[in-house]
Amino acid sequence: MTEILSGAGEFLSQNSAAVFSWMTLVLRYVLTALALIVVWRTCKSLLDTEDDMEQWGMLSLPNGAKIPLNHWENIIGRSKTSDAYIEYPTLSRSHAAVIRDDKGSWHVHDLGSKSGVKVNGKEIAGRAPLKNGDILNLGGVELVFVTADAAAVSMQEKERARQQKQRRRETGLHPAGTLVYLTAFQVALGLQLCIAQDEALLPAVPLSFILLIGIMWLCYLTTRLLRRSAFEVETIAFFLCTIGLAVTASAEPDRLLRQIGFLAAGVCLYFLVGWFIRDLDRAVRLRWPIALFGLVMLGTTLVFSDAVLGAKNWLSIGGVSFQPSEFVKIAFVFAGAATLDRLFARRNLILFIAYSGACVMTLALMGDFGTALVFFVAYLLISFIRSGDLATVFLSVGGAGFAGFLAATLKPEVASRFLNWGHAWQAPNAGGYQQVRAMSAAASGGLFGIGAGNGWLKTVFAADTDMVFGMVCEELGLLTAAAAVFALFMTAFHVIRSSRSARSTFYVIGASAAVSILLFQLILNVFGSVDILPFTGVTFPFVSRGGSSLIASWGLLAFIKAVDTRRGASFVLKTPKRIAKQEARRSKNRAASDRRVKKPAPPEQPEPPEIQETEPDDYDSWFLE
Amino acid sequence: MKRVGGRAAALIVLAVVILGGMSLYILRFLTNGRDWVSFASNKTVYSGGVLKVGTILDRDGQALSQVSGGSRVYADDELVRKATLHVLGDPGGNIGTGALSAFAPRLMGYNVLTGAYSRTGNGKTLSLTIDADVCAAAYKALGGSRGAVGVVNYKSGQILCMVSSPSFDPMNIPDLTGEKYEGVYLNRFLSATYPPGSVFKLVTLAAAVENIPDLNDRVFHCDGGITVGGDYVACTKKHGDLSIEDALAVSCNSAFGELALELGAETLADYAARFGLTESFEIDGIKTATGSFKNAAPNTSSLAWSGIGQYEDMVCPAAILRFVSAVANGGNAVDMTLIKDKGLASLLPPGSSRLLGKQTAEKLATMMNYNVYKTYGQDNYPGLELYAKTGTAEVGGGKEPHAWFAGFITNEDAPLAFVVIVENGGSGSRTAGAVANKVLQAAIKESEK
Repeated sequence: MTEILSGAGEFLSQNSAAVFSWMTLVLRYVLTALALIVVWRTCKSLLDTEDDMEQWGMLSLPNGAKIPLNHWENIIGRSKTSDAYIEYPTLSRSHAAVIRDDKGSWHVHDLGSKSGVKVNGKEIAGRAPLKNGDILNLGGVELVFVTADAAAVSMQEKERARQQKQRRRETGLHPAGTLVYLTAFQVALGLQLCIAQDEALLPAVPLSFILLIGIMWLCYLTTRLLRRSAFEVETIAFFLCTIGLAVTASAEPDRLLRQIGFLAAGVCLYFLVGWFIRDLDRAVRLRWPIALFGLVMLGTTLVFSDAVLGAKNWLSIGGVSFQPSEFVKIAFVFAGAATLDRLFARRNLILFIAYSGACVMTLALMGDFGTALVFFVAYLLISFIRSGDLATVFLSVGGAGFAGFLAATLKPEVASRFLNWGHAWQAPNAGGYQQVRAMSAAASGGLFGIGAGNGWLKTVFAADTDMVFGMVCEELGLLTAAAAVFALFMTAFHVIRSSRSARSTFYVIGASAAVSILLFQLILNVFGSVDILPFTGVTFPFVSRGGSSLIASWGLLAFIKAVDTRRGASFVLKTPKRIAKQEARRSKNRAASDRRVKKPAPPEQPEPPEIQETEPDDYDSWFLE
Repeated sequence: MKRVGGRAAALIVLAVVILGGMSLYILRFLTNGRDWVSFASNKTVYSGGVLKVGTILDRDGQALSQVSGGSRVYADDELVRKATLHVLGDPGGNIGTGALSAFAPRLMGYNVLTGAYSRTGNGKTLSLTIDADVCAAAYKALGGSRGAVGVVNYKSGQILCMVSSPSFDPMNIPDLTGEKYEGVYLNRFLSATYPPGSVFKLVTLAAAVENIPDLNDRVFHCDGGITVGGDYVACTKKHGDLSIEDALAVSCNSAFGELALELGAETLADYAARFGLTESFEIDGIKTATGSFKNAAPNTSSLAWSGIGQYEDMVCPAAILRFVSAVANGGNAVDMTLIKDKGLASLLPPGSSRLLGKQTAEKLATMMNYNVYKTYGQDNYPGLELYAKTGTAEVGGGKEPHAWFAGFITNEDAPLAFVVIVENGGSGSRTAGAVANKVLQAAIKESEK
């Protein structure tokens, strides 16, 4: 027996090159198949979800009809796109908003209606609190407002749980199953990278992949402990991170453990941001301080950093270097997001425009035009979602085009990138140097790659960051590279779909802005590296090597989770059942304290003061149409 | 809320950009991947700009170029190395039409599915139709003169010999500066154009055969030249009265000048184009040089000169070879190829194009055979069933004319068409004819093996 083993060992050591080459031959196909399975399962799970609405309250009409309130922020009006649509001539198109805050208190807002809003017969000015059973009078239409009680929520939740279980049985897609495939992908990839090592095996290669698998399952376990079931978006992120780790292992293996550290930090930031925006009131209250902090960081970078390759975008504090512009993306999303009541305030929009301008200008001064462009696209999306006004968007694009033209004429390095664009093959050793190498390496890889760790593109400058798409194509093949692009692409559809049932516009804007930043970076990175767009040198989210970008991308991911209202799906949203329980406890406490004092409770209903900024004269009717 | 939530659909714009961009990229990947992968900085398959994978064999299995010990080596024999340099291409990739450049994707084993990946990292073996010994004989026969030799099997289209001179030994690259090696990277067979001289009389003849009904009954008279519009078009000597056969055999400028004037520039240009002499064609994707024919005004000496292959006429030797192989094959030119083993594609019959009608081709062939009998001397070409036409193309500047010899043989087992051009070689039949004889004798010997 030992003879056979030692004989086999001898055979292996003598023919290791041949054995390894056969292993690589097979692993290439295995890896591609696993990548496609992971992405297919994840996307199917996102697509299979049926729209199911939460229900937070109800409006009863005099004729007995009942209109459910599916969001925390509901508009009542004559317009068909209102959340509660009532066809009655005296109603304005968007007459009033019924808004619930994080603590469960409801308010009604008059949206500048012609015929006014009455609560229990009393005319209101601007806004007024709303309790269960109150009678709303909108332009002569009387509605009874009913909040969803705990029992109803509980029933509703049970029904949704049953449906979800049913669906999962039918489709057979459990997130853990997908993760098993992803783990297989990671193991195979780690194995391939180990055998691709020329000389002595670096222990960091297997170790980093083991740690990656550990972090991923720990993240999943945490989600399960929080009694949440959805893991698609995280699976996509971990899939991309796995590819990114393979790229790092191939190009700069001595940075592997650092990269794992960044991944751990990113996952922590993801939970932190998720926890932070879970409390909508807190997020709304603190969003401007966060936004301001971001801008100050950008300004500090501009003043204190030294230019690296023409861009002053690195900041070093206490020996730790990072790119503040990556983190400011999160601050920017906070600045742009707003709850429905604030969307009506013009002051709010003007502040946001000014803030965006300041960010983009600072980035342009830093020479980081790629990131400036990313911010600008996020700005366009946010302003469209806020205003619904395409004209403003077109005007902005025109203005930015003019500014870009000026920048290009003033900055020769920007102009040269535009001049080389589309002509990379005519200057393969000058302006098109990186792009033609990316394309050549990509073509060598075919559909299945030449094997992780076997490429040569890694020897070209910025291969594992700006040209990472070329490197993935070369080493892992076009299919896996396209699967990576497609996986991130699918998050857009997830957000579009979930936004229809989201609780608050704050979450809709946050998730859309986060996705737009991730996708636009992907567009600039992928198409810039293969000469379809000018080469700008931004990162491929989650895939490009580097700390700031990876950590910030995880932070942005948390916003995507905030629109996912599927039952028990996202840890960022409290379950309706839990909210109902909390409310019940709160009102019981209140009643008990009332009894102890033995006198009528003073009207010290907590009124968040910041809501007072929305005076009726601030309302913009253009928003409503 | 519903309204604002619905606006998240604006993200579709980004999604569409990604879909569109990826579609464009994948389309380019599929269509241009072959070019991308053949980039000399692609270190998967190149090392220091030299293709580091793939073996090239001649038709008998002799290794012409392979990778040994990490570097690219050529044939063992120095003469073969020089003779096949332009077929293969130099290590630095300066000869773009060479197999190492033009067939690089095949040598890598490139395909869209697996890219340039090969498990062993050695690439593929490519067998060419070239015969190394015939090439060596041709290079030797050129004896250091500048020029080109091409031999093709006109039934199969397989190119047996493709030699360009000057050449050099790719294993011991000399100092290539200086007059001796001027234009050394040019494959003169594929990429150069020359004035065709009297070889072009075959074109004028073909046009006359099809457009002048009483051609066979005509008697041409040569007084040592003709006067056209005050200019003199000289002939080599006073030929006296001639039939059309004799006019071709002695290559009489007076007779063919008259025919050109009668046919007109448009007709001549039309035939030159029809025979592929003023167009580029492809040999396994390698483009040949484009010839030219300038339409001269009626009744001018220029028109007469253009009908006898002077004036502004320029042709590529490969195009002449294709034309004479069509004459040999009843007017049908079989697509030329350099690649012997084409996998499944070799099961299909080779493609071809009809350049001239069968009857015209046969008439031309008969007269080309008469040339040998009457002028070139069968004794000079022992054992060859030869059909040919010489050319002595004046180049001006006090230099010797270029010597042409083009035609075919109909020997059993050796249906070969050939073209020989010797720059400043003087008389076509004497210089180029001798080269052609040596090359064809070598080819016959190879075919008998």
